[in-house]
Amino acid sequence: MSNRIAEHHRAPVFTKIGLAVCFLLGLIFVFFGFRGQQKLTSADLGSEESYQAIYALSGDVNAIWNALSGDLDALSADEREAADAAARSLLAEDWERRQTGAGEKVAAFVGQENAGASSVTWKLLAASGLVNGPKVPVSLRKSITALQKDALSSFRQQLLRCLADETAPVPDPAGDALGKLSGTERRAMAAQLVLTASGGADEKVADHVKTLKKSIRDKGSQLTAFEMIARGEVSWLWQLIISNSKTVILLGFVLMLDVILLALLMASEKHWIPNIKWIIILLIIDFMLLFQVLPVFYMVAKALFPEGSFSLDTVSRLFSYPMNREALKNTLIAAFATMVLGTLIAFPLAWLVGRTNLYGKKFFRSLFVMTYMVPPYVGAMAWLRLMNPNVGSVNQWLRLLFGLSDAPGPLNVYTLPGMIWVLTSFYYPYAFITISRAMEKMDPSLEEAGRISGASPVKTIFTVTLPMMMPSLIAGALLVFIAAASCYGIPSIIGSPGNVNTVTTRIVEYVSLGQQSLNDAVGLALFLMAIALVILFISDVVLAKKQYITVSGKSVQPAIVDLRRWRVPMTVLVALFTVVMVVIPFATILATSFKVDIGKSVWAPSNFTTANWTSVFARSETLSCLKNSLIYAAVTATVGLVIACVMGYLLQRTSIRGRSIPNFLITLGSGTPSVVIALGLIMTMRGNFGINIYNTAYILIIAYLIKYLMMGMRTVVSAMSQIHVSLEESSQVSGAGWLRTMFRITGPLIFPSIAAGWFLIFIPSFYELSMTTLLYSSTTKTIGFQLYEYWTFTSQPMSCAMAFGILLIVIFLNFVLNRLTKGEFSI
Amino acid sequence: MSTVTISHVTKAFGDNVVLKDFNETFRDGEFVTMLGPSGCGKTTMLRIIAGFEKPTGGELYIDDQLVSGGKTFLPPEKRGIGMVFQSYAVWPHMNVFENVAYPLRIKKQDKAAIKEAVDWVLDTVHLSRYADRLPSQLSGGQQQRVALARALVARPKLMLLDEPLSNLDAKLRESMRFEIKEIQQETGITVVYVTHDQTEAMAMSDRIFLIYNGEVQQSGTPQEIYNHPANPFVADFLGNVDFFKGEAQEGKIVFPAMGGQSVPYAGTLTGKVNVAIRPENLFFAEEGPLSGTLEKQYYLGDVDDCRVRIGDTLLRVITGGYLFSTMSVGQSVRLQIRDMMVFPDDGQLEQMLSILT
Repeated sequence: MSNRIAEHHRAPVFTKIGLAVCFLLGLIFVFFGFRGQQKLTSADLGSEESYQAIYALSGDVNAIWNALSGDLDALSADEREAADAAARSLLAEDWERRQTGAGEKVAAFVGQENAGASSVTWKLLAASGLVNGPKVPVSLRKSITALQKDALSSFRQQLLRCLADETAPVPDPAGDALGKLSGTERRAMAAQLVLTASGGADEKVADHVKTLKKSIRDKGSQLTAFEMIARGEVSWLWQLIISNSKTVILLGFVLMLDVILLALLMASEKHWIPNIKWIIILLIIDFMLLFQVLPVFYMVAKALFPEGSFSLDTVSRLFSYPMNREALKNTLIAAFATMVLGTLIAFPLAWLVGRTNLYGKKFFRSLFVMTYMVPPYVGAMAWLRLMNPNVGSVNQWLRLLFGLSDAPGPLNVYTLPGMIWVLTSFYYPYAFITISRAMEKMDPSLEEAGRISGASPVKTIFTVTLPMMMPSLIAGALLVFIAAASCYGIPSIIGSPGNVNTVTTRIVEYVSLGQQSLNDAVGLALFLMAIALVILFISDVVLAKKQYITVSGKSVQPAIVDLRRWRVPMTVLVALFTVVMVVIPFATILATSFKVDIGKSVWAPSNFTTANWTSVFARSETLSCLKNSLIYAAVTATVGLVIACVMGYLLQRTSIRGRSIPNFLITLGSGTPSVVIALGLIMTMRGNFGINIYNTAYILIIAYLIKYLMMGMRTVVSAMSQIHVSLEESSQVSGAGWLRTMFRITGPLIFPSIAAGWFLIFIPSFYELSMTTLLYSSTTKTIGFQLYEYWTFTSQPMSCAMAFGILLIVIFLNFVLNRLTKGEFSI
Repeated sequence: MSTVTISHVTKAFGDNVVLKDFNETFRDGEFVTMLGPSGCGKTTMLRIIAGFEKPTGGELYIDDQLVSGGKTFLPPEKRGIGMVFQSYAVWPHMNVFENVAYPLRIKKQDKAAIKEAVDWVLDTVHLSRYADRLPSQLSGGQQQRVALARALVARPKLMLLDEPLSNLDAKLRESMRFEIKEIQQETGITVVYVTHDQTEAMAMSDRIFLIYNGEVQQSGTPQEIYNHPANPFVADFLGNVDFFKGEAQEGKIVFPAMGGQSVPYAGTLTGKVNVAIRPENLFFAEEGPLSGTLEKQYYLGDVDDCRVRIGDTLLRVITGGYLFSTMSVGQSVRLQIRDMMVFPDDGQLEQMLSILT
């Protein structure tokens, strides 16, 4: 501290220079990025993506060429020239036939008499031959790949001779294919066979070929790019810049933004020495800006400026579809009804469990809280089994009970009320947890003061307890509202089959329809985002100020109300509720997973089978999805927890400026509906902003992080707030350094919370569905999505087996957490 | 105004007995304090009077009406008691006026009457200016007054106060003591006050009930229990006291640990005794019965805190401050005893005292 004043006068010069250099660097990045873009357009190369595709392809083509060059060397000079000439003419014919408009350029290029011409011709041939060459029959392809290395080499050499000379003998497996052909067709087939035999059958090459084929069809001018690379006319640095120009621009902008932010932070603190904490804060801010703020802003821009100028076309078009209006209406009704119903259930439950002498209240409490951790779609599946209008168990019982006819009904889950019911059964715990936490923290003497003032217990509840609970009650209710409004799993399983669409199901549907309807998806997503923002604002800004601090200094043991003669009836009521809400659904899932015919009882003769379980978990796809889920969730949780710990330290142990910015962004991220996060990432992370993580695991992990990071952060932050600084200070006074203190004192003290934070991120990431549905690719499927696919396309008993498997894993994880934290935490 | 009769009240939470056969009567208009260390059962007794706890056995009467006992239980709201809680329990969602008016609104009094009563009581606790404020805008002391006003507004005959001053700072605590006492004298209300602070109890009470281990150890006026404690515990709890083991013989007590020196004794006990002496009851005198060496001397301004060694024992002596300059460490001194308390040695003293410290 003492040298701070001294440096205060000296440092700004260095700081200014440092900042200026960094800013300049950013500027240079942006400049060269744009130059790269210019080069793309001036060379008529079209977009960076096609350039990248061609650039990437050149590597594979080179590989083929390398494989081929040995064979060419084996030929005599005459033969080689003849083969080259044949390749040239083939190529020229090919270009002309395609009438790409680039024919002239190519012809001129092919006609060039320079040293590398021959190899260039061959490279081009390799590419084009693979693109549009005649198909090699599968059986022939197989027999070629089956050849030994030496045989393959001589096979290729002979084929090259055939290419040069139509009378040359045809090598063995190719006899049939070449024998029937003549002229250009024969030569093309020979070239194709050469390429096939050179490793052209490689799957990776084939993938790139697909891209190239598309580019060539779309734009002939892109061939120039290939030409430039092939001739090595562009230096490697420019190749790097051109092929990554957008990333370079993005990096430049981020760097400039960071420099500006850092300068602002320094100025506000009047502290001119760059602090490592600021760098960390800036890194977190950068992450959130890139993956959360940018996508949302991009979507807003897309929706309001669809063609580059302001227009409300997207919005008006959206609302002109009755289906969309219906979806909006359904979403609002469902969310509102779920909120009201959920709160009405949660408040009395929280009171009974928290504040009365109900029997087994601890058990009930943990059961209700457990529901919070069950994937919503599992519940949806259970209720669907129970209330399916035709074969639902509840309907069968009801018909039996009231002697109704065999017709469908009386209950139908595929309706709006059905959906509301299932939503309520899964989201009331959100309100329950919020309310019961506030209720158990309330100073009991506040209520006693009401009693002693002459108010009866009931009167006290209405004049003291309820008004004081109001902020928490509203916060809990809003939490239910937004969770229900942005839920995808339940509406997709229950609503969609009954044509009850919601905003989320419409968004996913629009996305699946392809590029054109993305704009419509964006419009709906923004609607959802707007609701979420309003609710986030109310609960985090308006209500936070009204939250009464009712905790007294005394040990807070809430007064327990004696239910007296109501004790048994109330316990029975709560138990009944538990049976309906928790036991029956899960028992249904379990029972269904052992059924052959889902219409019959599991006890019916020869209806019991374990085949569902064995076949689901024997499938390698299930296991690989499970592996994906575990890895992604573990990575998300670990990265998230590191950020959470850093944030916990910054928020609780420092007063550094700017620490609340990442906190705000992280809160905003978790408040954003999953579907909106996913859609934003789809639209911005496919390379158009310099980052291309589309179809990779990264995009999933980033989406999970944005959504669930706050769960971990809150746990760690509140744990740190409970550890008095003096515990750390006394360690430092005892001679331990900062790092040692963190590892020996703070770490062990908050370990239960760290473990809890990790699991709180891990578990929802593990079974996530809404975001995964939009972001998965064939190689990054997760168990949640796999289950959803099974449910929709394969068999219900099998998916029930899988669902129960997921449930068991979640329960097991919960058990591990409980053990790790010595019972302090469980979910 | 109101009497409280506690008849053989016992209270147990499971196996944990907190009150053993409580048997007292609080008289009309009396300021009664239940004093004791934390966990002694005093708050439980108060909550039984309020009706927040039911006694396990025994009966409780307010004004000769049975309110708890047997099958009878009158809920708190029907008892017409005012109560001030340790945490103030001022409702954060109501302003000062609404908080104080609450008991009257429950009674469905008309608006004008409520206004008048609240104005009177807010004036009494000096809060008239703050009627529209929310509790969060008040200091701790002001919230305390709101709680007091709310307890008084319905003019109850009995008011219970549960450590009401323990969350206030020292200065405020002292001034509130006198305010509460004054209000009690003005209104003539019966007050049952619970505290663990002996100074508070001494300053305010007409009668103190010293409770320990779920039993009343002694009851009486502040003077009675300070000067004539019934047992070593009471002596130790109120004020400073040092215990010395002695042997009571004909007309004197011999202290083996003081090299066999003795002091005159006119009491009836014989054999092993514990002698309790308050440091302020020892003083330096030429003809004192005990002789020793002045070992330490601390100047505290108003008094002089000294340690005198006699044999293996170190005695604490608190004397007038003017002596400081006239004496020096190492000097031989003689000590006279102004007053002492003698208890038979039942061998339990150390255990009892260790609980307090």
